[in-house]
Amino acid sequence: MSSKSSLLKVILLGDGGVGKSSLMNRYVTNKFDAHLFHTIGVEFLNKDLEVDGRTVTLQIWDTAGQERFRSLRTPFYRGSDCCLLTFSVDDSQSFHNLANWKKEFVYYADVKEPDSFPFVVLGNKLDVSERQVTSEEAQQWCRENGDHPYFETSAKDATNVATAFEEAVRRVLALEDRQDHLIPTDTINLHRKPRGGTPCC
Amino acid sequence: MAATPPSTDSRRCLFFFLYDNSKVQKEGDLTRDGIYYFYPDDTPIDQQELLCGQLAGVCRCVSELSKSPVRLLRLRRSKYAVCMKDSFLWALSCVVDIPDVSVCDFLNQLIDLFCFYNGPVRQSYQLYSQEELAQRWAKYLCHLQGGSTELHNIFSCLRTIDSTHIDPLLLLKAALILQACQRCPLVLSGCILYRGRVVSTQMPPALTQKVMVYETETYSQDNRVAANGLCSSVGTSLSFTVTTQVFLTTNELHMMRCSPVDRACRTHCSQPPSRSRNSRLLSRTLSDTLTADTDSLNLEPTDCPPKSNATKPSSPRSSLSDESCFSPSPSIVNSPLNSRMNQSEYFTPQSHDHSVANGPNSSKVKEPCLTGSLTGLNTKERVAEDAYEKLDSGCSSKSISKVINSDQELNHKEKIKSFSNGYQLQSNCLENHSDSFYQDNQTDTPEGQQLNANNHTTNTNDRLQRDTEDEGRPKNEQVDKGEQILKDNVNNICNPPNAPLQHETLVDGSLVPTVLYQHRVRGLVLALLVETDFNTDPTAREEVYHSSLASLNGLEAHLRSTSPGTPSIQGPYTFTHYDCIQNTLTTNVCGHSAGPQDRAFVKATALLHSHFSQTDTLQEAIVRNASSAVYGTHTTAQETYFLQQGVPVRNSGSPDAQDSAFSLPKKARQRLLKHGVNLL
Repeated sequence: MSSKSSLLKVILLGDGGVGKSSLMNRYVTNKFDAHLFHTIGVEFLNKDLEVDGRTVTLQIWDTAGQERFRSLRTPFYRGSDCCLLTFSVDDSQSFHNLANWKKEFVYYADVKEPDSFPFVVLGNKLDVSERQVTSEEAQQWCRENGDHPYFETSAKDATNVATAFEEAVRRVLALEDRQDHLIPTDTINLHRKPRGGTPCC
Repeated sequence: MAATPPSTDSRRCLFFFLYDNSKVQKEGDLTRDGIYYFYPDDTPIDQQELLCGQLAGVCRCVSELSKSPVRLLRLRRSKYAVCMKDSFLWALSCVVDIPDVSVCDFLNQLIDLFCFYNGPVRQSYQLYSQEELAQRWAKYLCHLQGGSTELHNIFSCLRTIDSTHIDPLLLLKAALILQACQRCPLVLSGCILYRGRVVSTQMPPALTQKVMVYETETYSQDNRVAANGLCSSVGTSLSFTVTTQVFLTTNELHMMRCSPVDRACRTHCSQPPSRSRNSRLLSRTLSDTLTADTDSLNLEPTDCPPKSNATKPSSPRSSLSDESCFSPSPSIVNSPLNSRMNQSEYFTPQSHDHSVANGPNSSKVKEPCLTGSLTGLNTKERVAEDAYEKLDSGCSSKSISKVINSDQELNHKEKIKSFSNGYQLQSNCLENHSDSFYQDNQTDTPEGQQLNANNHTTNTNDRLQRDTEDEGRPKNEQVDKGEQILKDNVNNICNPPNAPLQHETLVDGSLVPTVLYQHRVRGLVLALLVETDFNTDPTAREEVYHSSLASLNGLEAHLRSTSPGTPSIQGPYTFTHYDCIQNTLTTNVCGHSAGPQDRAFVKATALLHSHFSQTDTLQEAIVRNASSAVYGTHTTAQETYFLQQGVPVRNSGSPDAQDSAFSLPKKARQRLLKHGVNLL
């Protein structure tokens, strides 16, 4: 069980420029660089962490938000354990696009049960003063779209970044635990010998 | 891929040896004592002696008679590319059908490679055993012959990733990773390799070639221990970094310091690294060139001595740097041009002051005493080199040096002698020797400098040895050897060998220790040439590591998931396009499995390439046999060869306008456009 969850792949999706790369860098290297170039295709970093007494390696995949990079990023959706849908609180368009991102992810990642798949929604750039998306709006969207957890973060001043990633890990672990519980009840053990039936006569 | 041992058919080299004439001077000296390395190593020693002794004699005789260096000796069944330097003689033989120019290139590459990883030849044979160095020669030979196609051998070109099968955006990604690394001022230039092939490079082709040896080596054996012992590793075996000491020629270093991102100011001023890192808006990415530029401009008045402005590579630098930032491979395209263009600016008398002004700054970094002194030395040396170069470029120094009368020359020698003697009396601290020597040269009166420069050609050989030994000594902490080296120096200065100069690496003098940083992520390698300070600066190292790690991970994932693809559709034609500037090849001849038709094409290509290399003015040529005709065209930037297949050759045997060969140029132009080859 523990070996199964040792490497968790989480993927950051969202419009270009909402701060996906910055979130990843802030979380893994605790650095912020205001002059990052667009991500081309995908990039990833690993981070070891302990959540609720369990050690996991988190593999954070950062993707290119621009439409022209779509063909480069989509092959890497597969195998994700969690999806972090990211928008920028000072850009309402990026918020409205969340639904598209979710759709794209479900399609390319080939998620079997989209309703139970762990999504986490991040509203980044909390440090910017002119907000275009209110906290209430975002929370409402999350409730209506599958009750996803919502975090407001700032990669620039490190607000809530670690919390958000840790929550993502908790969601994945919780889901796995639930599935592990389900396994014995839903499956038939083929190795078990059928009960020697009573002699028929 | 690159790790595959060379198959016998692609083996170009029949014999190769390094022979030291100075070891065989008297009647009783054994020839075998002069043989430092012989390939193949299972050759009986008698044969080795025969070959080395004969060739050394012939070379010496020919060069003395002709007063020009021997480049090539042609025998009945083989030919030897030859390089003579000091008392050393290198010779490499190949089968005759390989073009002369390719054989000579091969030998030059081999010697360059050795010097890149081991430093000057004399010094390395003082430091390491012959057996150890024999292994390295063998390794470099193997690398240069390994896994190449015949066409690669003919052009001695780089092995590049097949760009037809990967998304061009990934090439952009690789280029951006390299640019991001250059935000650290200690990073000179870099390249990214994937499975033994170049993905993107900022280095001149010759340097990329050298860096690749090491790449191949680690790729094949996952070897974390660098040859020169200067190494460390981070992370797991899937991702780790290594640094190795390497040696660059002053020219190479000069080009890299000046051209690619125009960081001349920052590097020259040798400001404390922390300072430059704090002013962090140095991104060389497309997004913020403007900030970067203003930033460096801001630095100028504060950090640079005003006079040194005159020594900057280019005064209209903002516009120039913008352009070079946006061009796809700025270093390759701009650097040779820049360095040539800017030479005149470098030789203003102020360049003196510049080096002096640099002195105190560089001694500030004295904490790691070793690197500090090295840097100081190098800077001065570089300036001295510049001064030499000026005279070289200004007028033919060879002719000058011949005109110099013997009195003058004698004076100079005595002067040097007195320097050395004086030094011996003055100081016991060998540590200072090199510095004081250079300062003497540097702060000399202009006449003195003139004199030095005039003697440049006669002294170059000595300078190579002198300089490199000076540098090598602190590095290897061979202080006790210093005394001997000093004597050697004096001897060398007084007895300049009359061996002619020919080889670029050897000619342009000293080799400067630099560091090769390598970060591997599975099959992907980021190789950076960095200043020596990089090793002692953990923050710089960390910055480079962290700024590139995620992107390297991503790029590796992309390249791994890219299918190798089907071999490109073979049209009804065969072509080869050689880019002389980037030293790369585009072709639709597939690797080793060349059919008879392809083999004829390769043969014709070799023939034409040989002709083109001999005759600069030759632009177009057609070679033909009864059944086919190969068209070749050549400019300073490229060579292209084209064969139309499946068309009956109309060839009357006499000049005829209907001859199908005459339509080849037009066809080549049309067909090759879709391969990105523009012959218009």
